[in-house]
Amino acid sequence: MRRASEYDLKLLLKSLGAEEVSEPHEGALLVRVNWRRLPGLIQGLLREVGLEGVRHSTCVGIDARPLNSSFKVLHILALDAARKYLIIEVEARRDRASVPSITPLMPAANWAEREAMDLLGIRFEGHPEPYRLILPDDWPEGIYPLRKDFPYNRKLSQLLKGSGRLSNEPRSFSANYLVRQEEGWVKYAAVPFGPYHPALHEPEYFEVLVEGERVIDARYRGFFVHRGMEKLAESRMTVNQIPFLAERICGICGYTHACAYCQAVEAAAGIDVPERALYIRSILLEIERLHSHLLWFGVAYHVLGFDTGFMAMWRIREDVMRVAEALTGNRKTYGMNLVGGVRRDIDVKKAALVLRMLDRVEREFKEFYSHTLAMGEVVERVKGVGVLTREDAAKLGAVGPHARASGLSIDVRVDHPYAAYGFVDVNVAVQDSCDVLARIVVRYEEVLESIRLIREFLTNMPEGELMAEDVEIPPLRVGVGATEAPRGEDVHVVVTSGGNKVYRWRPRAPSYMNLATVPTMLRGERLANVPIIIASIDPCFSCTDHVLVVDARTGAKRVLRLGALLKRG
Amino acid sequence: MGRLSILAEGLSKHVVTEKYPYEPVEVPEGFRGKPRIDPSRCVGCGACVNACPPNALSIADEGGYRVLKLFIGRCIFCGRCEEVCPFQAIKLSKEFELAATDVGDLTQEVRLVMAKCAVCGEPYATLREVRKVAEALPDGLRALAYVCPRCRELMTSHYAGFARR
Repeated sequence: MRRASEYDLKLLLKSLGAEEVSEPHEGALLVRVNWRRLPGLIQGLLREVGLEGVRHSTCVGIDARPLNSSFKVLHILALDAARKYLIIEVEARRDRASVPSITPLMPAANWAEREAMDLLGIRFEGHPEPYRLILPDDWPEGIYPLRKDFPYNRKLSQLLKGSGRLSNEPRSFSANYLVRQEEGWVKYAAVPFGPYHPALHEPEYFEVLVEGERVIDARYRGFFVHRGMEKLAESRMTVNQIPFLAERICGICGYTHACAYCQAVEAAAGIDVPERALYIRSILLEIERLHSHLLWFGVAYHVLGFDTGFMAMWRIREDVMRVAEALTGNRKTYGMNLVGGVRRDIDVKKAALVLRMLDRVEREFKEFYSHTLAMGEVVERVKGVGVLTREDAAKLGAVGPHARASGLSIDVRVDHPYAAYGFVDVNVAVQDSCDVLARIVVRYEEVLESIRLIREFLTNMPEGELMAEDVEIPPLRVGVGATEAPRGEDVHVVVTSGGNKVYRWRPRAPSYMNLATVPTMLRGERLANVPIIIASIDPCFSCTDHVLVVDARTGAKRVLRLGALLKRG
Repeated sequence: MGRLSILAEGLSKHVVTEKYPYEPVEVPEGFRGKPRIDPSRCVGCGACVNACPPNALSIADEGGYRVLKLFIGRCIFCGRCEEVCPFQAIKLSKEFELAATDVGDLTQEVRLVMAKCAVCGEPYATLREVRKVAEALPDGLRALAYVCPRCRELMTSHYAGFARR
């Protein structure tokens, strides 16, 4: 396969129809393209670097009407081999607020485009599944919460007063579906899986169609826990308040979001973060990965009915939590980041605390893991289960340990070095068996790698300042910040605004990409394996659902539009 | 084999859970718990209100007083208030048991007397803040601290020989 790094990227992009190519900050290329040329550009790019050479990270819709423009769409593409994020900027057609959909070319863009469709009313011409993803079914047509003329502090009912009411009816649940198979129309039973995950205690809803014990198809409907974060941040928060909001996107790996946000703003504004601060961020990120992976091991064992393993993992994890508390002042919401650096130092005494913890965790975790692998009843439950082939992983845009367990060697720490990862060598754990067992092995190796990395960071950490001085943020600059969260690539896109605010902030959590792979993994599996397969991607539903104002009245039970299902049949 | 080793390991481990809430839990130095305002130090400048991400702190002028309100129900314990306070008047404590039956137990109010403008008589800042500013000013300009920003602008522009408005 030809690698993108061998090309002069700028020339390539120009030859594919880009109007303007510039470098807004290190590690990113901003490509302006006319909407007519967009599909051609994507097609050309895929031809040049292949499906595995370019990943669709996210798509950001922007209401640029107050800036004398139309709607804009930024497609963020990751060129891992070239260590670049491409920001493809397309202005929507002014007459109908539409751009061509790139989902037919890159299936990974499916959700992100539908999100922009729901929240901003941008039309994506030619989208194969132009249905609602985020907004509840009974949300009225024509009201788009992320548009700048939508007030952040009004309830929907207040907005509708006098002008109309909820126009769509919530759908009802149906126990049977007709699916077209080769032999004709077949009726399948639908098993609702949710709206709370039995082990993760988070809202999600899978509708699993079964024939006896065999899973025929599955559809995911989530976004039940929108918290209106983007709107809140853009409307009333200042640049240095948002890190604390970003940290609350996830209840497990929040710090990685705070980092990605700060990196995006720092990149947009060209702020040089002191090296010591970068090291401290990396140490905390690895501590977070440590506790997150240990938590996942516990949950996975619990789902398998192996509760002894669950207890043991969480006992080991508790040690990590205590140390995090001693370092930052809180077990989970570290609150360490501001734009330009970190707020607390890690002194010699605290470093010693960390090192002692690492020794204990490493010893106990290794020991327990070897016991587990010796247990046939654990290994047999996960071997060959929930297979996601390398091709599907690349096509659907899987990220993180999930992608690495399917043989894709992608890791933001290596591909797009941030914080202090540029100063060390990170070993990427890759497995080829593509099943749940592979995901266990990958995470095991990552725990040990995290431990090694923290030791290295603590040894090499230079003296110096913790915070950049004289932080100035110029308006209307774009920045992409990416981190390797425990669950995969976490991307934040920021467009700055004057007056210490952001114009647009778009976080994309890793589970957003990984959840889309679940139906593929479930097809053909036995019903009893559904919980562990879903848990194997370490899904974080609330992270994925970071965005919207949800009408609490809606009990949108029935999710799947029959038409969509029939099309898939 | 795996099962037996797990059994052996389980037997060798002591109880790791704590008896909380029957026994108190120690939190480390630097723990970010419930914030407290020291009313004797606060000057009502509002720096903490500007920094507070969840609007747990608010400030308003009512009847000659400037009232700073802290509502723990909104607080996220980030400690930004402590960080930006110029007079170390607000500090995070180690207290984390915040359940209350009365919402009043979750609020703290600081009322500070406001200074009246020497020219127009309108209240414009707290007396404490005005005194701090006056202390910092050189002798010749000290009187300006006792004048509200509006009147001060009129005065200075008058001295400069033209009215900016």
